[in-house]
Amino acid sequence: MILQNLSIKRKLTLITMLTSSLALILSSVSFLIYDLVSFRHLLTQDLMTQAEIIGYNSAGALEFKDEAAATATLSALTAKEDIVTAVLYRPDGKIFAHYFRGSTTLPSYLPSRLQERGYRYAGGYLEVFHDVTLNGEHVGTLFLQSNMRQWSMRARRYASILIVFVLISGLFAFFVSSRLQGLISNPILHLEDTMRMVSTNKNYAVRAVKSYGDEIGRLIDGFNTMLSEIQQRDTALQSTNGELKTRTQELEEEIFHRKQTQEELLNAKHAAEEANRAKSTFLANMSHELRTPLNAIIGYSEMLEEETRDSGKIENVQDLRKIQASGKHLLSLINDVLDLSKIEAGKMVLHLETFEVSQVIEEMVTTLQPAAAKNGNSIHVHLADNVNMMRADITKVRQILFNLLSNACKFTDHGTVSVNVEEIKTEDRDWIQFQVRDTGIGISAKQKENLFQEFAQADASIARKYGGTGLGLAITHRFVQLMKGCIWVESEPGQGAVFTVRLPAQVVTETTESAQPESAGKVPAASSETKTGLETILVIDDDPSVRDLMTRFLTKLDFHVVAAANGEEGLRLARQVRPLLITLDVVMPDCDGWTVLNRLKSDSKLAKIPVIMVTVVDNEAMGLDLGAANYLIKPVDRDRLAVLVEKHRVTRSSTITDDNPLPLSYVGDRPAGSKTAGTRASRTRRN
Amino acid sequence: MQKILLVEDNEMNRDMLSRRLQRRGYSVVNAEDGEKGLLLARSETPDLILMDISLPAMDGWEVTRLLKANPSTRHIPIIALTAHAMVSDREKAIGAGCDEYDTKPVDFGRLSEKIENLLLEKKLS
Repeated sequence: MILQNLSIKRKLTLITMLTSSLALILSSVSFLIYDLVSFRHLLTQDLMTQAEIIGYNSAGALEFKDEAAATATLSALTAKEDIVTAVLYRPDGKIFAHYFRGSTTLPSYLPSRLQERGYRYAGGYLEVFHDVTLNGEHVGTLFLQSNMRQWSMRARRYASILIVFVLISGLFAFFVSSRLQGLISNPILHLEDTMRMVSTNKNYAVRAVKSYGDEIGRLIDGFNTMLSEIQQRDTALQSTNGELKTRTQELEEEIFHRKQTQEELLNAKHAAEEANRAKSTFLANMSHELRTPLNAIIGYSEMLEEETRDSGKIENVQDLRKIQASGKHLLSLINDVLDLSKIEAGKMVLHLETFEVSQVIEEMVTTLQPAAAKNGNSIHVHLADNVNMMRADITKVRQILFNLLSNACKFTDHGTVSVNVEEIKTEDRDWIQFQVRDTGIGISAKQKENLFQEFAQADASIARKYGGTGLGLAITHRFVQLMKGCIWVESEPGQGAVFTVRLPAQVVTETTESAQPESAGKVPAASSETKTGLETILVIDDDPSVRDLMTRFLTKLDFHVVAAANGEEGLRLARQVRPLLITLDVVMPDCDGWTVLNRLKSDSKLAKIPVIMVTVVDNEAMGLDLGAANYLIKPVDRDRLAVLVEKHRVTRSSTITDDNPLPLSYVGDRPAGSKTAGTRASRTRRN
Repeated sequence: MQKILLVEDNEMNRDMLSRRLQRRGYSVVNAEDGEKGLLLARSETPDLILMDISLPAMDGWEVTRLLKANPSTRHIPIIALTAHAMVSDREKAIGAGCDEYDTKPVDFGRLSEKIENLLLEKKLS
């Protein structure tokens, strides 16, 4: 509807006007009708009075049949403008006299039949019949016809006045209502404006102004309350938002800092690793450089001793022996330092074998007999019956016993050194316990504190009197730790000392714990899908659980994984698949990881595939020398592995065509090629 | 007289070891690098080879591998001598096909024991 979409202003005006106009028209029209009806009644009465007068005046003429007199009486009606016809009938119905305004002929509409006295309205005329009587006797009938001209004139005039009146009052009503509608519409329009402002500008601070206390006023109140609530929430939301933003920013900064720190740490770690490698290399080189001349000194003096003895010059033999002994001592010192540095670098590896304990003890006692004899000591051995075989690194057990026994002999003068070996059973495992007891100078409580520390002899005077580097016990301690055993000392100054070493009867390393050699044939070694080398990682490991774990882990990183259970198979698959990279175990039956690595790197087609060593064998220098890109020690740090493989993936996918080797800077932590070259060069120089 | 090929690049070591071996009654052939060692092993067919590992150009591992790959020299026992006291050297030596392994400086008594054992084994087989 058009009306419905009009503005509230128009609607109000229109409603007011319509209502008032309608009421006005209705009342005016009813008044008009009433007036016209009563006016007509008045006219009728008037005409009937007229008829009575004329009838009275014409009664005589009718009685005496005086037509002229009747006509004259009727003619007096000319003064009455609206009477158009007057007719006098005789009682028999014939016309006696007549009067017609404006014409002399008989009008056709004269009533054919005479009525009783009365009046009627017919065809816009008022007609009256009147009985004319004389002395109570009916002498004729008078008929008067009026054209009601006065009435219609009055009606027209009234109508015009009415129309004008309605128009004027309508205008007035319009004027008044358009003024007054503001009372209702203005607050509503104001409210609307405010609302629009709020929704366009999102400004919740504006308020609608309340003008009156009516319903609209209450509506505005409600609206304002709603606005303040929204404003409050908006403010709260904004402040929360602000806080959130600040927090996010802080978090971002923190993350950034952490990343930086992480990077720095990583760099520092790499630097430290590099430094450590350099140290190890230096030590290896140094020991080589030191041993080579020593080799000559010891060798030539031994040779000379033999020759001298052959030629009978016995007096020189003692001197030559002194040279030899000094050389050997120097050699043992170098070995100690080297051992310790290897232990510190985590490069000391256990070589486990099963051997007879008694044999080792016998060997060591024999070896140390001269040292014991030198100070006039005697060595006693007691071996418990339950001791026979043990599994450990025999070289290190020898060295432990050697160190303890030689110390005992060194610090005891004309006394006894006794060795006591027995098997001890505890809850979790069996132990072999070696006890070396002497009757020497003993150790004070203070000296005990750092007895097992490197370069810490009981005190400086001891070094002068007895010699030695102070490394023996430190190394012994480390070796015992390496085999998961323990060592302690009981002693009082002047009361001798008891050193006790407890080693597991079955020493285990991580290698023996995790590696379970299995024939390659049993394992579903290689998947048949070997097409997409770019996303494929070849896992070479004889341990099925490791293969399984690596496969699962690398598959999660979206790599395709091919696994090989031994070196030969690994090489075959490497040629077939040309994987993105290879992870390689060292300790494997038949063909070990070093051999595999060597063969991979000597095959020009495979040499460029980066190899990550994943092994329990801690010999990173060796791996990197042979050309491995990275070296991970089991148990593998998954995060590190993930970072490494992703690095290779990125490198490969961004730069590699099939014949391009990987850019060196991206291969692992350091350029493998340059290092290898460097090592070769130094090796060449050394010899 | 049993013949030992000594492959050693250090002159002093070579001189000393060969003299001491000669004193023990062996005839000694010297080679100062890997290539010469390879050639002499083929031409001289020694009873045993003492192989220094740290050689210039072609190292002892390589020479050993080549010798063990050749049917005419495969049967000759090889003792690897290495100055590296690295534990992995033992594995490496055995992996490369060496029959024995010893570290330098040489304990001559121990070395000659190893030599005798290997020669005895060879004779028995």
